[in-house]
Amino acid sequence: MVTQHSLPRRIGFLLLVLAIVAFSIFPFIQMLSISLKYPSEWGSPSLVPKNFNIEAYKELLNIGQAAKNVPESVRILLEETPDLTEEQRQTILKKYTSTGDVFPFLKYFYNSFLLSFTAAFITVIFAILGAYAFSRLRFPGRSLIQRGVLFVYMFGGILLLIPLYKMFVGIGWISIPPGAFMSLLIIYIVQTLPVSLYMLGNYFRTIPFSIEEAAMIEGASRFGTVWRIIIPLSFAAIVTVFIYCFMIAWNEYLFASVFLKNFKDLYTLPMGLKALFTSKNAIWDRIMAASVLTATPVIVLFMAIQRNLAGGLASGGVKE
Amino acid sequence: MKLTQILTREGWDLKQREILLGWTMVLPAVLIILSLILYPIVYNVYLSFFDVQPLADNTYIGLENHKNVVLDPGFWNALVTTVIYVVFTTLGTTLMGLFVALVMNQKFPLRGLVRSLILFPYIAPVISVVFAWQFIFDPVNGIFMDITYEKLGLFSSRFNLIGSPSTAVWVAVIFSIWKNFPFSYLMILSRLQAIDHNLYEAAEMDGASGWQKFRFITLPEVYFVMGAIVLLRMIWNFNKFEEIYLLTENVRVLSVYTYFKAFVGTMELGQGASLAVIQFLLLIGFILFYVKRVLKW
Repeated sequence: MVTQHSLPRRIGFLLLVLAIVAFSIFPFIQMLSISLKYPSEWGSPSLVPKNFNIEAYKELLNIGQAAKNVPESVRILLEETPDLTEEQRQTILKKYTSTGDVFPFLKYFYNSFLLSFTAAFITVIFAILGAYAFSRLRFPGRSLIQRGVLFVYMFGGILLLIPLYKMFVGIGWISIPPGAFMSLLIIYIVQTLPVSLYMLGNYFRTIPFSIEEAAMIEGASRFGTVWRIIIPLSFAAIVTVFIYCFMIAWNEYLFASVFLKNFKDLYTLPMGLKALFTSKNAIWDRIMAASVLTATPVIVLFMAIQRNLAGGLASGGVKE
Repeated sequence: MKLTQILTREGWDLKQREILLGWTMVLPAVLIILSLILYPIVYNVYLSFFDVQPLADNTYIGLENHKNVVLDPGFWNALVTTVIYVVFTTLGTTLMGLFVALVMNQKFPLRGLVRSLILFPYIAPVISVVFAWQFIFDPVNGIFMDITYEKLGLFSSRFNLIGSPSTAVWVAVIFSIWKNFPFSYLMILSRLQAIDHNLYEAAEMDGASGWQKFRFITLPEVYFVMGAIVLLRMIWNFNKFEEIYLLTENVRVLSVYTYFKAFVGTMELGQGASLAVIQFLLLIGFILFYVKRVLKW
């Protein structure tokens, strides 16, 4: 639609674009702004802080927190009693530097990362095998399975939550931390596997079979062609699927809240942030700083794979 | 016997080997899906007929759960809220997506950057954006109250828009539209880019106005993809949990209602299972109606 527009229309159009962009990213700017503001400025609608306050980030990332929590009196006491051994000093200090009331952001970050990364990795392996079979091999039951996979689009998490909870309680995994962690890992794999199969299957079909044939004539086995040809050729698509799975697990709250409820040490970021918000530590700058730090890795990952992901989304292979 | 030995065994022809290999490769995925998606769904139906305790045995109580659920006014409120939520979010997301796609299909400076910026809402984790939205509507510090109350004087006092269920549902709707319009936009844009330019040129020759071009060329071309988006959005938003619950616990759509029933307080797991079954049946009904009547497939 290339048509000649007059100047006022052109400006109006650009303003429209600007409005759409503002609508999309305003909440992000808002949270960045608040995370850097001092409490006295929260009520001001200006988005640029007068004075920058990076205390919230320091606290979340545990930078320079050790000395801060020790009360003045204790510090003086320690300085004025030289006959304490180094060990005794450390024990006294430890009492105050424990992260008891501070938000253990890094731990939650680590938990989320470990869970999401492992789940995405395992899903991708199963999905590569399954998708290859779908797209290349002819065997009875293939189309039935393929359609069954799409059927899973219909089920929301809440429908699976109660039976899965009962099942994992039944085998006794819920009551111990490693069990709860494993249950959640398995659930994330299950939740992302169908769509990954579908996306990768669609992609593999676009790779010409003749390349594989050539390899097989040279003596490569089926697994050999998958490893040496399919995986390298579809690497971008595989990374995309991996990140898609990673993001699903990174964002998940429903199952985590039920399975990890009793294990504070295993909380994922969504659970931790929700807990932070409802706790006495609920202070806007910390919450916003935590939000920024949670969103950043996902947005960075996304920027890295943007082109592929946009294509993947458009071909209809995404479940929420 | 090792797999490779089976696969290369004498006496099997190529076709049989291919069948065996095919099944071997899909088997892990199929087993996982069968045991952790299909079985739980059947088990869920089974549980809905029992009094389910988290740690004790189940006792059969017939239709008691279903009866309790349907007789509870909370359920009907949740149903109404869900319908409002699904209808308005689906419409809003699709129309906004169409509008943005039409805009982004034009040429303008920095288009690449703009196109990736407007995807941010869709890719950012829900948990990382809900607090920013809560802050915007915060009665004391939020910019919404600052503009509507301080600057424009629309309201007589500051109040918490997310605080009461009747207004919070609209915040949830707007939030969902903001969060999900990029998906519709992407799908529609990729369809728009596939439209043959000659069609527009021919229409211009015949003196068609901008609106006529949209109405008679663009709209029929994107009609089908919009139908698909609406269907997907209905399914997803009907089951939506995180985007609502994390933003505000006041909006009790069916999934949030079920969550509270089953996992908060007395943990009525049986009733929760029954609610999940009812929710699923409603969704199927909803979809059949839509596909038959609206899409006319």
